[in-house]
Amino acid sequence: MTEKVGIVGIGHAKFGKRTDVTLRELAHEAVTPALEDAELDVKDIDASVIGVASEEFAAQVSPAILVHDYVGMEDKPVFRVEAACATGSAAVRAAWALIKSGLAKVVLVVGAETMTHLGTLGATEVIARAGDTRWEYPFGVTFPGFYALMTTAHMDKYGTTREQLSMVSVKNHMYGAMNPNAHIQRKITLEEAMKSAMICSPLNLYDCCLISDGAAAVVLASEEKAKSISDTPIWLVGLGAASDTMLVSERENLTELKATKMAADRAYGMAGITAKDVDVAVVHDCFTIAEIMAYEDLGFCRKGEGGKFIEEKQSYIGGKTPTNTDGGLKSKGHPLGATGISMTIEITKQLRGEAGKRQVNGAEIGLSHNVGEAGQYCFVHVYCR
Amino acid sequence: MKKLALGYVSCLPQTQLVTKFLEELKNERLMGTRCRKCGTKYLPPRAHCKCGSEDVEWFEASHRGKILTYTLIGFPPKSMSKHAPYVVAIAELEDGSRLLAQLTGVTLKTLRVGMPVQVASRPLSKDKIVYEFKPIEPSCGCAKRS
Repeated sequence: MTEKVGIVGIGHAKFGKRTDVTLRELAHEAVTPALEDAELDVKDIDASVIGVASEEFAAQVSPAILVHDYVGMEDKPVFRVEAACATGSAAVRAAWALIKSGLAKVVLVVGAETMTHLGTLGATEVIARAGDTRWEYPFGVTFPGFYALMTTAHMDKYGTTREQLSMVSVKNHMYGAMNPNAHIQRKITLEEAMKSAMICSPLNLYDCCLISDGAAAVVLASEEKAKSISDTPIWLVGLGAASDTMLVSERENLTELKATKMAADRAYGMAGITAKDVDVAVVHDCFTIAEIMAYEDLGFCRKGEGGKFIEEKQSYIGGKTPTNTDGGLKSKGHPLGATGISMTIEITKQLRGEAGKRQVNGAEIGLSHNVGEAGQYCFVHVYCR
Repeated sequence: MKKLALGYVSCLPQTQLVTKFLEELKNERLMGTRCRKCGTKYLPPRAHCKCGSEDVEWFEASHRGKILTYTLIGFPPKSMSKHAPYVVAIAELEDGSRLLAQLTGVTLKTLRVGMPVQVASRPLSKDKIVYEFKPIEPSCGCAKRS
């Protein structure tokens, strides 16, 4: 198991309300720059892995071939990966395994989702059905609702404040304003964030990520191939994944995501690093509380001190662990299947030194953390130059 | 797409397990299942244990417990719009079981973590029933139903 797997090409479509394109065209918008970045032709690719989370969002049953065919992969192997909001990172993991197994040497990973056509209420409904449809969904609990339950518990146990939640939102909008691919490229004030409309108490509008259309693509290659394709391959050196109970009510601790802790331990162990070695991170901020819990569960700070971590600006560039330098799900947007791949792209840019105004100087080790549902799925990847 | 609605799921089959659970709920009995092999308890009930055993028996869960956490849902899924806003909570019952349900008879001002609650049956129509949490009056401590 000494052969590494490298990232040799990245391509990112503009996230947002994209009524100008269909799912396949949006995917194409990400694949073309990914191939150009790798200086590869589509015929150089051995296989593809496609991440699309929902057929209801895609308005297409079995959407993988739709994307695969449109980008010209035709007779090459393809399959689809799904892990709710963590679909993109699951696809990267599957591609890594294809290469490590020897089944393929160069793999195209594409994540895409079109969500805005259902409207906010409709999209909330579809996502809510990722919750247990027999025993939890019928009480009207949404995904903001599940995270709001964790927020109430976190505030009660650790004294996390309303203000600290909004501080996460302010930071992510600040970095999102510097990201040309972000859905909303606008800075917000703390006051604006705190006064926004209540969605599920104590979470308000600015605590919630965006419902977006978007696509992202990366090209992964075996060590030998990666070195011949790219002068600056970024290596995927730690992959950790875990899961948790389907019923959120069954969990012993409602102030953490157990799957994050387990996935992080596995990824750190494989990479031979600790949380302190991470120079830059992208974490799953579907809701502001999720970013605060991620600081804690990934080990960036002690349990219960996530609120203090953002208050002290430790997750800003210049702090202990710069986090969500691309604007996160909050500002960049969260097109489910694309999100995890977009995370891999941000870390690749940071480690290549290509993040421009958002660059963490000298970043050598990066981490991405992608959660599916309310912690039912979790994927942590560790990257190095 | 079939609609889901408060308390029941029209697109899933009404299995023997669910039928029994709802019949008992009509009599104000909250039933879970327990694995005869490893002793793990499930509320809501499961037909199979996570240990792999299919040998599960019914048990009656406690009706009383305390709120572990809650949220007031102001922005519901589309099919639940007419019910909003409503409170969803997770409670731990006296026997250690944990359950998610709506909590009625409270306001955000009176709500707090640790608040004692009881589980009550709430008929929705002639053949539909759901369980909900209600606060236990602190003055008398009795399981008053409204």
